[in-house]
Amino acid sequence: MNAVLFTLTAAAYLIAAGSFFVYLFRGDATSRLPTAVLLFGFVLHTSALTSRFFQQGFAAVAVMGEALLFHSWLMVGIYLLMQLKYRLTVLGGIISPLAFLMTLAAFAVGSGSGEIPPGFSTFWLPLHVTLAFLGNAVFALAFAVSLIYLLQERRLKHKRMTALMKRFPSLESLDRLNYTLLVWGFPLMTLGILTGSLWAGIHWGHYWSWDPRQISSGIAWLLYGALLHGRITAGLRGKKAALLTMFGFCVVLGYFLWGETIFPSRHGGRFE
Amino acid sequence: MQNEIVIVGLNHRSAPIEVRESVAFENSYVRAALGRLHDYPSIHEGVILSTCNRVEVVAAASDTHSAFNDITEFLAEQRAHRNSLPLDDHVYTYRGAEAVRHLFRVAASLDSMVVGEPQILGQLKEYYDTAQQAGTVGTILHRLFHRSFSVAKRVRTETGIGSGAVSVSSVAVDLAKRIFDRFDDKTVMLIGAGKIGDLMARHLLSQGVRSLMVTNRTFERAVLLAERIQGSPIRFDDFPRYLKMADLVIGCTGAAEVLVEAATVEKVLRERKQKAMFFIDIGDRRNFDPKINDLDNVYLYNIDDLKGVADDNLQERANEAEKAEEIVRNEVESFVRWMGSLEQVPTIMALRQRFEEIRRKEIDKSLGGSLKDLSELQRAALEDMTAAMINKLLHTPISQLKRNSQDDDDEDSALYVAALKRLFDLEGK
Repeated sequence: MNAVLFTLTAAAYLIAAGSFFVYLFRGDATSRLPTAVLLFGFVLHTSALTSRFFQQGFAAVAVMGEALLFHSWLMVGIYLLMQLKYRLTVLGGIISPLAFLMTLAAFAVGSGSGEIPPGFSTFWLPLHVTLAFLGNAVFALAFAVSLIYLLQERRLKHKRMTALMKRFPSLESLDRLNYTLLVWGFPLMTLGILTGSLWAGIHWGHYWSWDPRQISSGIAWLLYGALLHGRITAGLRGKKAALLTMFGFCVVLGYFLWGETIFPSRHGGRFE
Repeated sequence: MQNEIVIVGLNHRSAPIEVRESVAFENSYVRAALGRLHDYPSIHEGVILSTCNRVEVVAAASDTHSAFNDITEFLAEQRAHRNSLPLDDHVYTYRGAEAVRHLFRVAASLDSMVVGEPQILGQLKEYYDTAQQAGTVGTILHRLFHRSFSVAKRVRTETGIGSGAVSVSSVAVDLAKRIFDRFDDKTVMLIGAGKIGDLMARHLLSQGVRSLMVTNRTFERAVLLAERIQGSPIRFDDFPRYLKMADLVIGCTGAAEVLVEAATVEKVLRERKQKAMFFIDIGDRRNFDPKINDLDNVYLYNIDDLKGVADDNLQERANEAEKAEEIVRNEVESFVRWMGSLEQVPTIMALRQRFEEIRRKEIDKSLGGSLKDLSELQRAALEDMTAAMINKLLHTPISQLKRNSQDDDDEDSALYVAALKRLFDLEGK
């Protein structure tokens, strides 16, 4: 039942990605079909996560596969919320394939049991996980917005207009949105790190243990912090801001995807 | 007899402007002209279309040959009092499916001078409304025009034919919209009081820019222009100081000298906290340092760049036009099919009537002769039997005919209708 729901979710995301691409390159500019397909995928995704929650009795995010499923769910959810206000259908062209790849990757790595040993699951853990994941999801969107900014900027600089470009929002609004996402993402990430280290302080005995995951989030946090500071005080914006946003997300994502195997961390289901 | 659609007209390709003008209908005169057109016995329905690029008469007529002659005469009369350049060489005529295709292409702006320009559809609607008010529109033209409006809409939404600016100043505005989200908090600086810069500034003002600064070497000219377009004049020596307030800078002094260096812009950007700037070098000679485009958050387009973008867009419109032609092709087919089905119903009725007449005649003959001794009951049975026979005989051909018109084969359908008419001599009825 559960596997079926997740498979359907992945399929819906794939179809959504396809329809977003059709939207990008041709088709009706006012079409809401791609967003509707994505919303349908999101509903499937939600019911899959809910049904698993009731099956297992806890929200499983400790293992890589589960984390991916949770993360992509948040990302799509936030995008759909944003779509209500900003009408950034173009963004869906990046979010949908990303969501599809993440659900696919979740199948590939498998979900394992991921049960958290009793005693570790105190109040701080779900809070830490939720905040950290929310922050990551917001930065995933900021990454997509930055990517579109860079594409648009490049075309304007090179004086090549293409049909694709007509669907893109203006540089000004992309840059503003990027800033808004940073303003939301940074506090979430900060709180995520703080609650995490509080939990670590309680269960591991020390707040900071130079765990690779801690280090990578620390680097990303410094990067985003510097970006926010630069934006507010020194007029850091446009292309440089977009590049920094993307780099910051790559640091987070890079460790999330590959770092684990090279530098085992106490994240990822190892609680001892 | 069956109505057919005919079009007689001339456009920007078939006739020079003087000829077009001589035939053009004044707005106030169109209604009266429609009445005159309708008076020709060959014309059952009619719409007149008259814009700067075309004059066309669209009509429904049973006898297309005399309709062509009548409309040509009508157009010639219309211009009789103006001049007498020969008209015949410039007039084109279409009938049937070709006429439908032509009108659909006109509505979809495929026949326009600038392919994809949006005005033609509105004009078409206006002239159609006038004709409707004048009472010269019937079932056929009603359907034809409404179909053409929806074809135009389909083409506009399903192809990119109307997208992409094709004039220099609209390209510039289009680009500005890709850089800036809104204009009501933007300031424009216009350097030089040349005509094209003036035009460009007006274009931007119509987009709702907040304020406009005008500078020129001769201050008086700056003041004059500023007054005309509601800007504020600035002395030429002062303009670099104001540069940091400008989001869009238009240069068109006509002089071949670099007025704004990249280094200056770099400094200005720091003062503006890197807020984006758009430089438009719209004169024939360069006023802005080309290196400006290498700076982050600044975009520089000169006149050739703008023309290049306009050309790209024109090319793209041409590509999109091919898709549009395909849509038109399909729509013409389905319209012709509808016309065919119009013809079918009367044919079927005429066929039934003809059979009924024969039956009646033969029964009357028999009942008056050899069968005159039949009882009331037997007579009724005879009536029923013959009526059932005719129904059974006609059932298969009629249902075949109907089925045929529902399939794609409108040609077959038309062929069957024509064959039936000939075989049973239905034409005269």
